[in-house]
Amino acid sequence: MSLFEQLEQIGQQARQAVERADDPQQLAQAQSAVLGRKGSLTQLLRALGTLDPSQRVEVGKVANQLKQELTELFAARRQALQSAVDRRRQQETAAYDPTTPAQRGQIGSVHPVTAVQWEIEDVFTRLGFTVEAGPEMDSEYYNFDALNTPATHPARDIQDTFWLSNGMLLRTQTSAVQVRAMEKFGPPLRVVVPGRCFRSETVDASHSNTFHQLEGLVVDYDISIANLIATMKLLLREVIGRDLPVRLRPGYFPFVEPGFELDMACQICGGKGCRTCKNTGWIEMLPCGMVHPNVLRAGNVDPREYTGFAFGLGLTRLAMMKYGISDIRTLTSPDLRGLLRPELLYGPPVVSPDDRQKG
Amino acid sequence: MLLSLNWLRDFVDLPDELDPHRLAERLTMVTCEVEGVERVRVDADGLVVAEVLTCEPIAGTRDLCCVELDAGAKRLTTISAAPDLAVGKKLIYAPPGATLPQIGKVGRTEVAGRQSEGMIVPGEAVGIEQAAHHAIFLPPSTPAGGPINVGQLDDWIVEIDNKTITHRPDLWGHYGLAREIAAFAGATLKPYTEFISPIERLQDASLPEIPIVIDDADKCPRYTGLMMDGLAPQPSPLLMQARLSHVGIRPIDLIVDLTNYIMAEIGQPMHAFDGEKVACIEVAVTHPGDRFTTLDGVDRVMPAGALMIQSGRRNVALAGIMGGADSEVTARTTRVLLESANFDAPTIRRCAAALGHRTEASARFEKALDPNNTVLSIARFVKLAEQELPDLKLASRLSDAYPKPLPPVSIDVDLGFVNRLMGRDVEASRVEQILQALAFEVARAGEGKLRVQVPSFRATRDVTIEADVIEEVARFVGYENIEPQLPAVRLRRFEPNALHRIERRSLEVLCRSEGFAEIQTFLWDDESWLAALGCDPGQRIGVRNPPAAGTDKLRRTLLPGLLAAVERNRHYLDDFSLLELGSVFLPKGIEGCKQETEFRHLGLACVLRGGRKTEDRCVDRVRQAIENWARHALNRPVEFALPDDGPRFVWEHPHKRAVVMVSQRCVGRVTAVPEALKARIHEHLGRWSIALAELRLDGLLDLPAVEVKLRPVPAYPQVQLDFSVLGATERSFAQIRQLLETFEHPLLRRVTFLDSYQGSALPQGKRSLTLRAWIGHGQRTLTDQDRRHFEQAFTQFLAQNDLPLRS
Repeated sequence: MSLFEQLEQIGQQARQAVERADDPQQLAQAQSAVLGRKGSLTQLLRALGTLDPSQRVEVGKVANQLKQELTELFAARRQALQSAVDRRRQQETAAYDPTTPAQRGQIGSVHPVTAVQWEIEDVFTRLGFTVEAGPEMDSEYYNFDALNTPATHPARDIQDTFWLSNGMLLRTQTSAVQVRAMEKFGPPLRVVVPGRCFRSETVDASHSNTFHQLEGLVVDYDISIANLIATMKLLLREVIGRDLPVRLRPGYFPFVEPGFELDMACQICGGKGCRTCKNTGWIEMLPCGMVHPNVLRAGNVDPREYTGFAFGLGLTRLAMMKYGISDIRTLTSPDLRGLLRPELLYGPPVVSPDDRQKG
Repeated sequence: MLLSLNWLRDFVDLPDELDPHRLAERLTMVTCEVEGVERVRVDADGLVVAEVLTCEPIAGTRDLCCVELDAGAKRLTTISAAPDLAVGKKLIYAPPGATLPQIGKVGRTEVAGRQSEGMIVPGEAVGIEQAAHHAIFLPPSTPAGGPINVGQLDDWIVEIDNKTITHRPDLWGHYGLAREIAAFAGATLKPYTEFISPIERLQDASLPEIPIVIDDADKCPRYTGLMMDGLAPQPSPLLMQARLSHVGIRPIDLIVDLTNYIMAEIGQPMHAFDGEKVACIEVAVTHPGDRFTTLDGVDRVMPAGALMIQSGRRNVALAGIMGGADSEVTARTTRVLLESANFDAPTIRRCAAALGHRTEASARFEKALDPNNTVLSIARFVKLAEQELPDLKLASRLSDAYPKPLPPVSIDVDLGFVNRLMGRDVEASRVEQILQALAFEVARAGEGKLRVQVPSFRATRDVTIEADVIEEVARFVGYENIEPQLPAVRLRRFEPNALHRIERRSLEVLCRSEGFAEIQTFLWDDESWLAALGCDPGQRIGVRNPPAAGTDKLRRTLLPGLLAAVERNRHYLDDFSLLELGSVFLPKGIEGCKQETEFRHLGLACVLRGGRKTEDRCVDRVRQAIENWARHALNRPVEFALPDDGPRFVWEHPHKRAVVMVSQRCVGRVTAVPEALKARIHEHLGRWSIALAELRLDGLLDLPAVEVKLRPVPAYPQVQLDFSVLGATERSFAQIRQLLETFEHPLLRRVTFLDSYQGSALPQGKRSLTLRAWIGHGQRTLTDQDRRHFEQAFTQFLAQNDLPLRS
């Protein structure tokens, strides 16, 4: 076979191989069989050196043309095959639907009251308060006597307090920790005490015998009503997320003097008056006041030197407001349907008319 | 408590155009909370006074009467169902052509086949408190035919929240609130002396004195009485009936109405005895077991130490609470002994609470009333009674036993302190002005100091210290006039509360990373649930006044509550984990408690669908959670050990059970819930596996601090070698771990646990355990020889200790 015939054959086979190749790998093999280091055309070109010059020029010219032609042919085909592959991959990827719900996780969550409690704790720790705790089973002394609540005060009646067989009681208020905190730290004092409280009340949708409060207490030189108002405004700002009008009016609690009720502008009606605020435009938010000198004395703090303010925030009520819980009994029930966000309980919803109706 | 605006206007001049809502708002901001303001308006016209001439029951009807009336010029006949009609009684009548609210124009109709002209006006039609259909009777002196001024039925009613005036005895009547209103409105309060009969007149020495003996002056500091003749039982004037009705008191007859009227005016309860039966008074203290029948006909067993009013040492009234049935005024009474006394507040409160019988009177005596009101109220009674009864005669002098006079209360006020406590400056003259408007006597007592004399109606309990006086100043200055200012703080260190810190971290780890849902249940056990579980938790602290039957013991463990929660939630969940962090209570002598002790416990429950098949996985899940909890909340590892006692409670599994050890301390237990208990709770509960754990946090507060040190990256590669060995099933992993502690080899870096397998492929009584040994050298790369030597040594060690390689 002449060299020209051989070139003709190489060209023929190569063109067929290009035709036949279905994927980039096959094409690469075919290309290397012709144009690779040990490829047929490469070897032939290498052999040109052994020919006499006249022949070499002529054959060389044809062979180089062929090399040029095949190189382009392979490149074109490779590109075509590659885009076919890309298309196929693309189709495969398109089958993945990133809009289906991702795998459902574990249904973990803290109790709504705990969530609100932490939020308030964090507000106060940012302000340099410390967080204390106290016992739920407490003595008459800390719950009443030390709080200037004389034995004759109506709050001492058996109807309000759960008394225990050992003469102790279940604390009726987190204020029971006021004197403990003063004894532990002494002034200057900035403390909040979240905790569960108990009162012997008839349970219904808005009353429970078990509820959470958060007590706040500040004792230092020259603590004033002006300080109390500013701190309460700041607290509400942090809780609600914006500045709200507040008002202070007289309120009576034996362990403060003067005592106040702090009202917040009703958010439902914007202060114009609605059912929630009983048409007053105000929502009763927290009882507070200047610490009674007898309470300071009980905590070994000299009332001639120090003054203080205290407040009690209803965490349970706050949680109900925040999460739209209308029945307080939900919070002492173990039924998770009332305690968890629905998607935590049931996984991401496909459709949920139930939740739409609610909110 | 309800207030009538018209009534308040008796005592303080208020502008006619006063907006009652605005007044209510000011009261709320300065004095006490107003719960509501309501307009009372009677759209009636043409009503007249009529006298009953004849009254014949209509045969064949149940309660209808044919009534002939004298309505002035004409005689009219009407058919009425009103009870208690009698010849000669005066009443309010709507003749044809008159209008009544709701009913409209009154005309002539036919009732029971007879012609009926107009109608006898029932109380409810014009806002007078009466039982249904009752007529409104008027005093006998009222001229028949005269028009009724319906304007006196119109009013504004302000409702005060009683809880906000419990500390203010002076606010339990209109006069006290009028004083507050006058003070903030800048108006003048009329002295109450204008409204009473002169006291000197009542002290007529020519009249006999009522003998009054007080056995215990501490319980009854003052007792004042007056005997009167010529008190005919008759209806009260319409205005008095209207005002009483508007403040929620039903008019009865003049004597009772007058006592109620004065109570609504100055808060002083009074009692009227039949003067024929009670002519002298002894105030005695009850003995245990004393009995008394009150005028509501109830025979009551008296608590000891209560006050009893006696006459000739015969019980006639339960002091401060209610009179007796035998001595009350009747329709035939003409002589009345009027009592107005001052009783010790706690004594009355305790007695009313013990009897479960709080009355309008006891509710007021509980507030510690002003002893000076005893005389004022009697003088007011005489003044009002004389207006109605021209024949009234005093049958005694004002008899006043006052063995324990109220000590005067005088308070020194430092104006500098006033300003510091308020956080703003107030002029001395403004302070004086406010206090004087509230009837405090004020004198300058040196530079920046005032001496304040507290009026008797505030001095019984309410105002005793400087801060009390400052409150008076501050609320009248107005809290809205105090510029808010954040406190200047002094930095200091607070020892963090270790328990609170652990609690919060525990919840953060378990709820956020381990998928536990937090629940909060009641502090007391549910005995019926414990019975259903077949659980006897042993001795517990009791609740003396439990919220309900079967909830009279405080819980000692959280797990029954968690089991109830599991049963509740498994109806709509397959796999879930619950936790509760709460207090439990141990009585004295249990678990070495020297006294009743509260502990903080963390209870965990993991629930997996799949019954027995998932049980091991379920226990593992709780244990994993505990491991992570210890790592993140306590910063240290946890170990599980076999308990050295049997199951303590019904929910503990005989085998799948461990104690949780942290730093060599036992902090709790973990267990699978046995099949038998699940079956007992519910026949379907066996389809789930349940694992429980309970941890005591109190034992973890004083753990020594742990320093966490990290290792450098090994300079030369380490090699992992896995060994599967066969061991006896009764040999616990904890024991094997102890054994491995004794193996020493220079190349060994650590041994970790891969898995444990038990099954039919293995010999009876054996299990397979796969351990991974990590070996390495500090100065060079390991050689094949190193590796072979280690394998040999380790395999040999294992085999010698009955842990041969699994072939």
